[in-house]
Amino acid sequence: MTATFAITRSAGRGVGRRAGLDRRQALQLLAAGAAAALASCGPPREQILPYAKAAEGEELTPGAVRRYATTLTLAGYGRGVVGRVVDGRPIKLEGNPAHPASLGGSDVFTEAAILDLYDPWRAQAAAGPAGVAAWSDFAEALGARLAGHEADHGAGLRLVTGRITGPSQLRLIKAIQARFPAMVWVRYEPLHDDAERQGTRLAYGRSLTPLPRFADADVILCLGADPLGPGPAQVAQARALIGRRRGGASMSRLYVAEPSLTLTGVAADHRRAAGPLVTRAIALELARRLGAPAQPGEASAETLAFAGAVADDLIAHKGRALVLVGPGQSAQMHALAAWTNHALAAPVDVIEPIDPHPDDHADSLARLDRDLAEGAVTSLIVLGANPVHDAPDGAVMARAIGRLPFSAALGLYDDETAGACRWRAPLSHALETWSDAVSPDGTASLAQPLIRPLYDSRGAEQALALMAGQPASDARDLVRATWQAGAAGDFEAEWRQALVAGVLTRGGAAKAAAPAPRWVDLAPIARSPLILSLTPSASLWDGRYAANAWLQECPDPLTKEVWGRSLRLAPGDARTFGIAEGDRVRLSLGDRSCEAVAAIVASQAPGIATLPLGGGRTRAGPIGSGLGGNPAPLRGRDLRFSLEDMRLERLGPGKDPPVTQNANRLDGDTGQLLPTMTLAALAAHAKPADDEAPPSLLTTPPRGEHAWAMVIDAAACIGCNACIVACQAENNIPVIGPEEIAVGRDMHWLRVDRYDQGPATAPDAGFLPIPCMQCEHAPCEPVCPVEASVHDGEGLNDQVYNRCVGTRFCQANCPYKVRRFNYRDYAAGAPWGDLDVTALKAQRNPEVSVRGRGVMEKCTYCVQRIAAGRAESARTGQPIADGAVKTACQVACPTEAISFGDLQDGGAQVAALRRDPRHYVLLNELGTRPRTTYLARVRNPNPALGSQA
Amino acid sequence: MVVRVVLVAIVVTPFLIVGGLYVWSGSAYHTRAGETVEQPVPFSHAHHVGELGLDCRFCHASVETGRFAGMPATQVCMTCHSQVWTNAAMLAPVRDSLARDRPIAWVRVNNLPDYVYFDHSVHVAKGVPCQACHGEVADMPLTRQAAPLTMGWCLDCHRDPGPHLRPRAAEFDTTWTDIGDPAKRGAALIAAYHVKTAGLTDCSTCHR
Repeated sequence: MTATFAITRSAGRGVGRRAGLDRRQALQLLAAGAAAALASCGPPREQILPYAKAAEGEELTPGAVRRYATTLTLAGYGRGVVGRVVDGRPIKLEGNPAHPASLGGSDVFTEAAILDLYDPWRAQAAAGPAGVAAWSDFAEALGARLAGHEADHGAGLRLVTGRITGPSQLRLIKAIQARFPAMVWVRYEPLHDDAERQGTRLAYGRSLTPLPRFADADVILCLGADPLGPGPAQVAQARALIGRRRGGASMSRLYVAEPSLTLTGVAADHRRAAGPLVTRAIALELARRLGAPAQPGEASAETLAFAGAVADDLIAHKGRALVLVGPGQSAQMHALAAWTNHALAAPVDVIEPIDPHPDDHADSLARLDRDLAEGAVTSLIVLGANPVHDAPDGAVMARAIGRLPFSAALGLYDDETAGACRWRAPLSHALETWSDAVSPDGTASLAQPLIRPLYDSRGAEQALALMAGQPASDARDLVRATWQAGAAGDFEAEWRQALVAGVLTRGGAAKAAAPAPRWVDLAPIARSPLILSLTPSASLWDGRYAANAWLQECPDPLTKEVWGRSLRLAPGDARTFGIAEGDRVRLSLGDRSCEAVAAIVASQAPGIATLPLGGGRTRAGPIGSGLGGNPAPLRGRDLRFSLEDMRLERLGPGKDPPVTQNANRLDGDTGQLLPTMTLAALAAHAKPADDEAPPSLLTTPPRGEHAWAMVIDAAACIGCNACIVACQAENNIPVIGPEEIAVGRDMHWLRVDRYDQGPATAPDAGFLPIPCMQCEHAPCEPVCPVEASVHDGEGLNDQVYNRCVGTRFCQANCPYKVRRFNYRDYAAGAPWGDLDVTALKAQRNPEVSVRGRGVMEKCTYCVQRIAAGRAESARTGQPIADGAVKTACQVACPTEAISFGDLQDGGAQVAALRRDPRHYVLLNELGTRPRTTYLARVRNPNPALGSQA
Repeated sequence: MVVRVVLVAIVVTPFLIVGGLYVWSGSAYHTRAGETVEQPVPFSHAHHVGELGLDCRFCHASVETGRFAGMPATQVCMTCHSQVWTNAAMLAPVRDSLARDRPIAWVRVNNLPDYVYFDHSVHVAKGVPCQACHGEVADMPLTRQAAPLTMGWCLDCHRDPGPHLRPRAAEFDTTWTDIGDPAKRGAALIAAYHVKTAGLTDCSTCHR
C-alpha cells in the first residue's frame, strides 16, 4: 500500500520534467511489484456454480455418471448405445446390452462419435449467399423457395439423402412427397448393397434382405464376404460367429475365399486368396454338388480340390451350413448364394428390406446425375450425404450444383457438397437431438439427446418437417407423433420404457415369406490383367469419418497404417507393373484416375489390387483433408466395388502411410507369442505353453484384498480396434499425428498386435490385444529413480505422473513395450492437441488426469472404474461383485474377448479362465508374472484338407 | 575469513533454499489455511449451523452419495428465505439468482489439486466426520479452510485413521464431544466399518 502511494507521489513530481523512469522510480516499481507478488501469491480461487433451480424430477449428484440409452447410426442403420454423462456432458459411449445390434459391445465408429460431438471443425452456423446466417434465415429462404415449388408440384426439386431407416424421417419424407408429388427423392450410400438387392430380385422376384444366423451355423463359407469386418452389423455378427469359435465340441468351421485379407479371413480355419474366377469356381462346384445345372468353372485342380472338400463339408452339415457372399460380388453370385443356402437349408432368415426406397443406390444416384446434366433440377437439397466427394461424377456434379438457382446442404460438417451449394446449414449431432432408427436385424430404437445442441443447429427430422411445411417443429414432438400413431394401449408407458431400455418392441422389419429361390447361372467372367477392389475403410468407412482424429489415428487392423491407406498389391503384380514398396502410383480407367501409394502384400490374390475408400477428402478440415486419393471417380455409374481392366503406372517414389507396428519376420517366435491349438489338441487337454511362473529370487508382494487380473481370449479377438478407441475416449489419450507416429511414437495405451505364422503368401494371422501386463515382478519398477512406477496393494502397477521426471528407463525396461511417453504436450500445445479449444476439453473424462509433457503414461486397468467400484462398495457395504468393475476395453469388445476381475474372488470369471487349458502367459520365461494373461487361439481345420491352412 | 564464509555458504545456501521452500510450502501462506474468503453473500455457518442447528446435509446433499458434497441450488436457500429475511439487502444476490436463473458464484474455500480424486461419500461411509477436515465449521462466521490440505496432512490420517473416526450416527453432529479412549474407539470403528488400512497409502487410492 505504501509503495503504491509513493509511486503516485513520485510520478506526479516527475510529470513534465522528463519522460521515462529515473532510478528512484524504477526501484519503487520493483519494490511495489515484489510486494504485490508476495501479497497475492497463489493462483486465483476457483468458483463453485450450483444450479439456481434444481432440475425437475432428477436428482443430479455432481460428478456422478448418469447413463442414457440412445441410438447412433452407421450408413443409416441404428445401433443401440448407452451414453455416460457427467455433469451434463456426454463423455463416453458404450453399447446397449438390451439392443440386439450392439449387445453391449461397440465398434470404432460408435466409440469415436463422441469426438465428433465436440469437434471444433463441425459446422457451427448456417451460411448463405450473403455469408454466415442464422438457422432461421436458412429456414426462411428454404420455406420461400419451396413455396415457389408448389406450382410445379416439386418437379424441379430433388432431395438427396443417405440410407434412411428411421420411421420418423421416413414419415416426414412421405409428407414431403405428398406436398410435392413430382419431387424425386435420391437415396444412395457409397457402400451400398445393390448386388444383394439385385441378386435377391433375380432369385426371389423381389428385393429381400437375408439375415444369417451364425449361432446356428456349423460350417460357414464366405465368398468375398466379411461378416466380422466394419459395418452396421459387425457387432452382432461377430458376437454370434465368434461365440461358436472359442473351442469346445460346438466350434464351427469357417472357410473364406477373398481377394484381400480381411478380419474374417484372419479368423478363418481355411482361407484362399481368390480372385473372381476362383470364387466363381468354388461357388459353382458347391452348387453343382447340390444338384444345380451348373457347368464347373475354369479353375486349377488345386482350387477344385479345395472347392470339393468345402462343398462336401457344407453338404455333410445340411441344415447347419451357410454360404455368404460379399457386397463386392455380382448380383448373380448373390442369387446363387440364395439358391445354395436354400438347397443347404441354411440358417438364414429373410426379411423385407429395412430401407424402403424402391430404387437401387446406383440407379438413384445416376438419375440425379442425368437430371442435373439435362437441367431438369432447379432446387437441390442434400441431407447428410456428400455426393460431391463420393459420387462417380462428383466434380461435374459440383459444377452443375453451382449453376442451380437454389441448392442447400445440411450436415454435420462443412464438407465438399456444402462447399458447392449456395446454402449450408448445420445438422445437430445424434447426441443432441431426438430421432429413431432401425438396426440391420430390424429392431427399432429411439435416439434421445444427451446434451442440448452446442451450436445453432437442427435435427434431420426438423429439417424434413420444414420441407414438409411444418416449420418450427420440436424434434421430440416429431418423433413422438410417429410412434403415437400406431400405439396400442398406454403410449406414455411405452415411450418411457423405450427410452429407458433403448429398444422399441414394434416398428421393426417383418420376416418375409420368401418363395423358393430360382437357379440363376453365373455369366462367364473375362480375364482381366488387374482388378481394383474397393473396400470399406476399417476406420473411415466411406470417408465420412475422415475429420475424426481418433479414427484417423486408429490403425488399420491388418496393415497397421494410420493417417492414410495404401493400395495393396500382390508381389507378382508389383513386379509386372514395375512397382516397388512405397511408390506413388496412378490407377486409371478410361479418362479417370486416382493416385495412391503402393504397398506390396504377399497375402493378396494375384491380379487384384485393393484400396479402401475414404481417402481424397478435400474439405474435411485440418484433420481429414488431403490424405490419399479418392477412387470414387473410377467406380462409374454402377458404383462398382470391383473394377476390371485397371491401368496402373508408377509415378515415382513416395512414402507409405506411417504404421504403428513394424513387420519383422521372427522365425518361430510368433508361435510362442500367439500360440494356436487345433480343436483336436484342445480336446486332448494339451496346454499351449507352460503358464507356471519360473522360480525367482524376488519377493512377491502379498496379495491385498483384491488382486485385479485380465484374461484376453486370442481366439475371440477379431482385431476390430473398438478397444483401442474405447480406451482413448475413457482415458483422455491424445492424438499425436502422423509425424510423431512416423518416428516410432504411439500413444494408444492399448494396442492390437498382428502376428503371422506360416508362409507370407498364405499367412495364418492372428490378433493379440496388448494392454499393460500389470506384472507382479514388474521390470519397470526397480529402474525408476524417483519411485514414479510403484506397485499398489491390489496388484496394479501405478504410474505417478507428478513424480515422473521422464527418464524413460521404465519404457526401456518394459519387455511388453506398453509404456507411452508424452514427448510434446500432446493433449494441449502440440499441433494435434486441443490448442485450448474449450469444446474438446468438454469430452475429457473428469475422473482421469490429463497428462502433460515429459511424463510416462500407460494402461491403468481403468483404475478410475476400480475406484468407482470401491466407492460403491464402501457406500453400500457390499463387497465388489464379479463383473461390477469393467474396463473400457472389456465393455467395448464385441466378442467379449476381454475378461477382468479379482483373482482373490475364487468364483470370478478370470480365476476360472486362468485354469482353462488354453491359458498361457505372454513371455512367461521372463518371470514377470503378469496379471494380464491370454487364452490361445483355436483352429478347427478340415481333416480332408490335410495340413493346408 | 571471506573465503571461509563463501565456502560455508556454498554448502549451506542450497540447503537453506530447499529447506526454506519446504517450510514455506507447508506454511499457511502457501496452503491458505485459515484464510477467510470473501463470498458474494456473506453466508455464516456459525449462524445457520451453530445457532439454528441446520444439518450439514440439508445443503450439502450429495455428501453421502457422491464424490462432491455438493452446493445447494438457490432454490434451497429460498426454502427459508422466501419466508424469512425476504427483503434483506444482504440476500439480494440470492433473490437475483433465482429470478434470473443464474448461479451464485461462490468462491471455493477448500481446494484440492486436480490430480487428487477425493471422494466425500467414501469418507462419510467409513466414519470420518466433517470436522476431521473442515474443522469447527459451526463456529465460523465466514468459512475458512481449517486444514492445510497438503499430502502430508492427508497421509497423517491415512496412516492412522482410527483416532479421527466417529460412529456414523455422530458424523454430522457438531456438538459431539469425545468421550472414552480414542484409540480403542478407533480400532472398534475400523473393524465395524471395514476400513481397509492396508491400501490407504497406495498411490492409486487418491491419484490416477
